[in-house]
Amino acid sequence: MPRRRTGAAIPEMFRVMLEKPTTEAYPYKPIELTQRYRGKLDIDPAKCTGCQVCAMVCPAGVITMIELGTRKVGDRELPVRRPIFDLSTCISCGECVDSCAFNALELTKQFELATPDKKDLMMTKALPK
Amino acid sequence: MSNDQGKPTRREAPAGLIQYSVENLVPFGPIHPALKEPEYFKLVLEGERIVEVIPRIGYVHRGLEKAAEMRPWMQNMYMFERTCGICSFVHSLCYGQAVEGLTLFQTPRRAKYIRLIIAELERIHSHLLWVGLMGHWAGFDTLFMWVWNDREVVLDIVEAISGNRVHKSMNAFCGVRRDMPENMEDRTVERMKYIADRARFYREIIDTEETMLERTEHAGNKVSQETVEKLCAVGPMARYVGLRNDVRLNDPYAAYDEVPFDIVTRNEGDVLALLRLRLDEMVVSANLVSYAVKHLPDGPFRVLIPPVIPAGEHSSHCEAPRGEIFYYVKSGGDRIPERVKSRQPTMANLPTALEILKGQTLADIPVVLTAIDPCFGCMDRMSFLDTETNKQWTWSGEQLRQYGIRYYFPERFKK
Repeated sequence: MPRRRTGAAIPEMFRVMLEKPTTEAYPYKPIELTQRYRGKLDIDPAKCTGCQVCAMVCPAGVITMIELGTRKVGDRELPVRRPIFDLSTCISCGECVDSCAFNALELTKQFELATPDKKDLMMTKALPK
Repeated sequence: MSNDQGKPTRREAPAGLIQYSVENLVPFGPIHPALKEPEYFKLVLEGERIVEVIPRIGYVHRGLEKAAEMRPWMQNMYMFERTCGICSFVHSLCYGQAVEGLTLFQTPRRAKYIRLIIAELERIHSHLLWVGLMGHWAGFDTLFMWVWNDREVVLDIVEAISGNRVHKSMNAFCGVRRDMPENMEDRTVERMKYIADRARFYREIIDTEETMLERTEHAGNKVSQETVEKLCAVGPMARYVGLRNDVRLNDPYAAYDEVPFDIVTRNEGDVLALLRLRLDEMVVSANLVSYAVKHLPDGPFRVLIPPVIPAGEHSSHCEAPRGEIFYYVKSGGDRIPERVKSRQPTMANLPTALEILKGQTLADIPVVLTAIDPCFGCMDRMSFLDTETNKQWTWSGEQLRQYGIRYYFPERFKK
């Protein structure tokens, strides 16, 4: 049994004092992110076909499909849909990215999403201008 | 007190319930600096000693089990991951295993190893967080700073593997969603060696530093092994009195049956024993991660399964950092579950916690209550029980909604 004494941690305190600080000077210096970092969701409108698989798998209800009209495939009339994203509820799980068969979605490394208005986080990139 | 017919009125206490005078009652919580989550304890004091603790749980009930009955199987995985902010992965693992039991698919070996690695990293980070909090409540804030600094090392590895520090989103049914990154082996082994060294160092500090010993040694009412067994404590709360209670060893899941390890038990039965136990467990976990990373088998890491789960019921249990968690799922052969039940370790540990609080001084409550590693937010579930008639019942979703409307808008129902 080691001897009980006061100040057993003092040598470590001196060692830590001489070390460089662990914290980083963010936001004055950019912080390093890992390769797999899951940040803000982004969509490539050119690749999206409106298949609505992402809307079906999303556990947070971020994705809503908007009907933009119809198109003719053979003799059938099919609706044309495009997604809009409410990023304020996105949990960045990446389930939509995994399920997208056309690689239209990706999770970027952007994480500074703080905003005074929630509406700023509505992403309507996929809708036609 | 009774009315003319001899029936007891509501004010009269039922037989068998001890009544304490109001002068001795001290409310503790629900909002209290010593509690990270709201929970109310009614303390009966004699002088400064605690005689009896009466808990009142349910302040952070979130309706998780009901919500699970309205979502597809895979979406529930992410919801149950958010049951806890610290041991998030093990909840999704336990739920996933329960669902996998209903299907005919086998989880690949590589996925089982990756699950083990993440689960053990999570155990290390949860224990480090707890040791820091213990230092904080024992008045040793320097330890808190050091320990939380070391916790960053673990979180960095978790982030490199899963892309997030806390909510890993790693689990899928019959596999994991992401493979281990390349060139991670050396880095992980090196970091785990560092963590094991630090855990040994903290163990040495705690064994010798007088300020820490004064506060934690003999703190907490000493309970016998039989009492703890009778009160069904799980995890470290069972192991600190010498019970070999660990799901990893008793009923191995993931890859725990293929890796060599032994659990840690202690016999002292005080808060210091819990500190030593958790620090020793961190060394075991660090060694487990190093072993699993070195012996990671080749092959696929995920099997894709259809969204409809066959009808049946299954349960699963896992060893979370705080103890055994339990999930029960029932499927009607549909895209959504019929019933999901979850039991968290704090719920099982609460009776023991009340027992070890007895006989302590009021000032010792933060230390002793933190020692059980409480997670009140995880454990709150709902059921109705009339203590006077001992009657239990359940409400449907619509009844609950009607109750909510009546509660928040009573003026609508006034005549």
